[in-house]
Amino acid sequence: MTRLLDINDLHVTFPTEDGDVRAVDGISLTLDAGETVAIVGESGSGKTVTSLSVLGLHNRKRTRLNGEILVHTEAGAVDVVSCNDEELRKLRGSAVAMIFQDPMSSLHPYYSIGNQLAEAYRVVSKASKSDALKRCVEMLDLVGIPEPQKRVKEYPHQFSGGMRQRVMIAMALINNPRILIADEPTTALDVTVQAQILSLLKELQREFNMGILLITHDLGVVAEVADRVNVMYAGKVVERGSVDDIYYRPLAPYTMGLLSSIPSVYGKGTGRLSAIPGQPPSLISLPEGCSFASRCSFASQVVGASCATDAPHLIEDEPGHFARCHLALADRRTAGAKFAAKGGNA
Amino acid sequence: MSKLPQSKRFGRAAIATSVAAGLVVSGLMSSSIGTANAAGPKTGGTLILLEHTPKLDHLDPSRIYTGRDLAFENSFFIRTLVAYNPVPGAAGAGLVADLATNTGVPSNEAKTWKFTLRPGTTFEDGTKITCEHVKYGVSRVFASDIITDGPGYLQQWLDLGKVEYKGPYAKDTAGQAAFDKAVTCSADNRTITFNLNKSVADFNYLATYGVISPIQAKLDKGDAYDLRPQATGPYKIAENTSNQLKLVRNPKWSKASDSIRTPYPDQIVMKFGLDEQVMDQVFLNDTMYNAVNFDGPLPANKDEFFQNDKYKDRRINTNDPYSRYLAFNVKKMPCLEIRQAMYYARNAKAILDYAGGTFFGGTYSTGSISPLLGLDYEPTKVVGPGSPDFVPTGNVAKAQALMDKAKTVCPAEYKHATVDGIVIDVSQSVTLQDTIPINTAAWARVGIKVSYNIIKSGYYSTVLNPAKQSDMSNSGWGADWANASTVIPELFTLEGGFNLCQNGDDPAYKDFKAAVDVAMKTTDRAKQAAMWKALDKTAMERMWILPTNYGKSQYIWGKGVGGAFFWQPQGTLAWGKLYIK
Amino acid sequence: MISYIARRLLYAAVILLLVSMAVYAIFQFLPFDPAALTCGKNCRPNLIAANRVRLGFDKPVWEQYWLFLSGIFVGRDYGVGSAAFTCPAPSLGYSFRQNACVTDLIKQALPVTLSLAIGALILWLIVGIGLGILAARFKDSPIDTGSTVFVLIGTSLPTFVTGLLLLIYLTLKNNIIPLNFDGYISIFDNPAKFFIYFLLPWITLAFSFSAIYTRYTRSAVIETSGEDYIRTAWAKGLKPKVVLRKHTLRAALAPLTTMAGLDFAGLLGGAILTETIFDLPGLGRMSLKAVNDFDLPVVLATTLLAAAIVVIMNLVVDLLYAVLDPRVRVG
Repeated sequence: MTRLLDINDLHVTFPTEDGDVRAVDGISLTLDAGETVAIVGESGSGKTVTSLSVLGLHNRKRTRLNGEILVHTEAGAVDVVSCNDEELRKLRGSAVAMIFQDPMSSLHPYYSIGNQLAEAYRVVSKASKSDALKRCVEMLDLVGIPEPQKRVKEYPHQFSGGMRQRVMIAMALINNPRILIADEPTTALDVTVQAQILSLLKELQREFNMGILLITHDLGVVAEVADRVNVMYAGKVVERGSVDDIYYRPLAPYTMGLLSSIPSVYGKGTGRLSAIPGQPPSLISLPEGCSFASRCSFASQVVGASCATDAPHLIEDEPGHFARCHLALADRRTAGAKFAAKGGNA
Repeated sequence: MSKLPQSKRFGRAAIATSVAAGLVVSGLMSSSIGTANAAGPKTGGTLILLEHTPKLDHLDPSRIYTGRDLAFENSFFIRTLVAYNPVPGAAGAGLVADLATNTGVPSNEAKTWKFTLRPGTTFEDGTKITCEHVKYGVSRVFASDIITDGPGYLQQWLDLGKVEYKGPYAKDTAGQAAFDKAVTCSADNRTITFNLNKSVADFNYLATYGVISPIQAKLDKGDAYDLRPQATGPYKIAENTSNQLKLVRNPKWSKASDSIRTPYPDQIVMKFGLDEQVMDQVFLNDTMYNAVNFDGPLPANKDEFFQNDKYKDRRINTNDPYSRYLAFNVKKMPCLEIRQAMYYARNAKAILDYAGGTFFGGTYSTGSISPLLGLDYEPTKVVGPGSPDFVPTGNVAKAQALMDKAKTVCPAEYKHATVDGIVIDVSQSVTLQDTIPINTAAWARVGIKVSYNIIKSGYYSTVLNPAKQSDMSNSGWGADWANASTVIPELFTLEGGFNLCQNGDDPAYKDFKAAVDVAMKTTDRAKQAAMWKALDKTAMERMWILPTNYGKSQYIWGKGVGGAFFWQPQGTLAWGKLYIK
Repeated sequence: MISYIARRLLYAAVILLLVSMAVYAIFQFLPFDPAALTCGKNCRPNLIAANRVRLGFDKPVWEQYWLFLSGIFVGRDYGVGSAAFTCPAPSLGYSFRQNACVTDLIKQALPVTLSLAIGALILWLIVGIGLGILAARFKDSPIDTGSTVFVLIGTSLPTFVTGLLLLIYLTLKNNIIPLNFDGYISIFDNPAKFFIYFLLPWITLAFSFSAIYTRYTRSAVIETSGEDYIRTAWAKGLKPKVVLRKHTLRAALAPLTTMAGLDFAGLLGGAILTETIFDLPGLGRMSLKAVNDFDLPVVLATTLLAAAIVVIMNLVVDLLYAVLDPRVRVG
């Protein structure tokens, strides 16, 4: 499998008046061609910040990046953290493309779809206007928009939400990028449309052998399309593994908490929703030890280390399955056993 | 002159001091004509007059009524039958012949006046001036809906019997016939005769006004004539736009026929619409050497102009032609004691200080006749400096005594003054907010309440309407010419055009009116002067008006302008004598 | 689109009709007598009464109004006999104070005000938008601080102070810009003199307007830069210049067309203070004089003209905005 992306010990810090906000506090992950890697977490976990840093979309004046983000292009590897503006610009739209959460606001309201698509095409391929137009129509057709020759001249406000997201996908893929970053691509859409978009993404991935980095908070979406999952909490990865690993054999207390809080269509349906008690910590003053300690129901059972003062490391508990927790593996396996059957919240 | 123009600021127009004020105008050039020695008048150059309003009220000679504009017109492009002598001092008020051969011949107890035109005078198009032209010019004022704003004496004095004449524009056979009888031309078209319906001993002074001047009927455009009147003087109008009025030399003017005028500059340009502060800055900074301020400096800049020696040759500060007063509506305020009390209780000094003190603001009135009227002027010793009870800050004791007397002798009016309050008409002005409290406090010292009726527009047409006039009305008056016959009868008789005091029912009126009639017939000037002085005294004794002060005004000009002096009768500089150094 | 424009023009006509009626009505209720104004110092009541008849002020209000209104289409006659004359259509009345048909007065004054307004508009747009963009791009740098200072001064200094300061120091004291002698010169007659004539008035007006536009542009650009579609533009790999010009500016500055259009319309009604200080014979000065003189025909005409300009500019601005923003297009 071709390695497309290597993120090594990425720290993203926003210096503010009140202190440094450590939005991403040491993340490493990889992405290969043809696979979909999901980053899951709640708001403020650092998942969006991570995705934006791959393309250097942060305000460079206000952000401090440490670590490495290696994008492997045909010409070689580029370190996004240390490269200059022009190299970064060349990556965007060509090697790495991105689609965003809200298709309503992600398209420029004043220009036609064709104009914006062609623009994306011509900045990389330097094609003529007529060739670009042809390509736009092609792409619209590819993403399933009916009557593409007519619709290519229309404006974003004339498209529905789902259609707009398809347009965004078309725009992202128009230059055959190797990596597609999808930041909450379906969050703003209806459930039925959601399913269509996700299956489109899957189809296109197969066709172009792209690597997709999918950012989401929705475990249902992850289950549908992801191959591997990174669970993030307070700027760190707390568990990494295959989809099955995460869903059926979770090894981090936070992951277990997340899975427990999914409301289930199956089962009795009269049980209360179980939420993880407490609040995520402030990213300015992260605790010394485990960031999840104050909310973790297993903290008291830990022996040999103090969750409050000793920060746990990410350890490969099973082949390809990593977790960050002091609790003994056996105890965690016991706790996670209830997720083995489908449904989770019995 | 005229009533105090409402649009002008407190104390604006200027006139010369004759003797009393003692300010000497430096840079006086004698009026010797044509002496072009090294330090004397030079010919050539462009004289610039800076005017802040966007347009002069009128250029049509039949419609001009302010001294400044009359002086301007008469100096440059409109000749009249007689004119004032453009020399400094009291001699300037004397009449000299202009288009006529002499200053007019009265007969029939000054009810008939004859003027003979001198030869060699023409319009700017070369047409020779004849009696018919002058007669036509006179007839225009009767079309009072079109030819507006000029003095109304002709309509009052020409003997048309009972017929109403609508002027030469409308078809008015009866009126025209009556007019043709009142104003006649001799067979050789050179002598004009005016038949008046009463004796007017100084009718020839009216002839200095453009209402009696030659106009060609075929070129008369009615209202539009105001934009481009025909010239008979040494300059003619080349351009009249919203920006400037340009006068250039009139080649048809014959120097031989004109002993008055000395047209030194090649061009006269009046620039309109300049911001007043900008205008002052022009003179303060010597931006334009050849310019004269057609208005006066702003109060804020007067100190700089008059205390800095840099400007000592370029400024004048003297009395203006206006005598300011508050008219009593004697019908509504018949109680003499209260009227007198109001005079004595008033704080004249505070108001005058507010206006700039005695240096810039004015001097305390001694009657209704302005000191500029030389011959007819004398302090009445009843009011103002020279009178026994005058105190500048107010003679509260005397006023109080008068009020106490009024309590018993005129109780109804007393109640009106102390309980209801006296209502005073004033015209809208920015200074009101400061002067009203001063006056209110002064009168309150003897228990008199006042309230002010501020009239925003059409002031005079309101207060001259007996139905609309309040108890008192703020006013000012300047003599229309250097004879108190344009003051006393106008202000104090019912036939007068400005009888704000409505004194017809006053016990002294009957004798007063009889005396006025006698004075109007008296052609012996000295005798007449004595009569006016006596009548002024009577008016003050009856306190038909509350006299306040004689105004002062200032003029400034650039350092390239020479020949500036006061022209007493018109109350401005003698524009026609200016030259470019 | 055509029917939309036609409908808007119809509304405009109705509005103008109502405005003219309103102005006319207001003048009727003012506490002065127009006939009395025509009569000079020695005004007797019988003379005023006669003038009232001769000038038509005794006619009922609606008849006077009708004469005014019809005059716009067919012209109007004044005077009698040999002093008669006509103000040809479109007649907006006759000003007795200025001895001219009002339409002619407006024809003279309009080019001046137009030159003033257009020049100032161009200047303030260039300075205001340019400085605003710079301030936004170099946010929190000395350039940004400098622009904030500029904005503060520009919005606090009244026009007459700016104008007078410029006039005094550049013209009167030091003669850098010579004092103009010849009045208004059209740009077609003498471009050099035209520019000198209008330079200081343009700067005076543009100074306060550009401060407002700098402030607006700066915040609009900063705000727009944070929009999602700008992020998309960056993500597409567009060059910074393209992101700024094609994407950010077009979105940020679109509302400026409305602002600028209406500010311009207001200026066309006459920039009274600037015209007075620099002695420009434009509409502002004309209407000020007319108000002071109670010259009803001129006041009426300038009010109507100002209203017409505002109404028409509103339409123009709306149409322009539709060109920029496809979301508001009709049909």
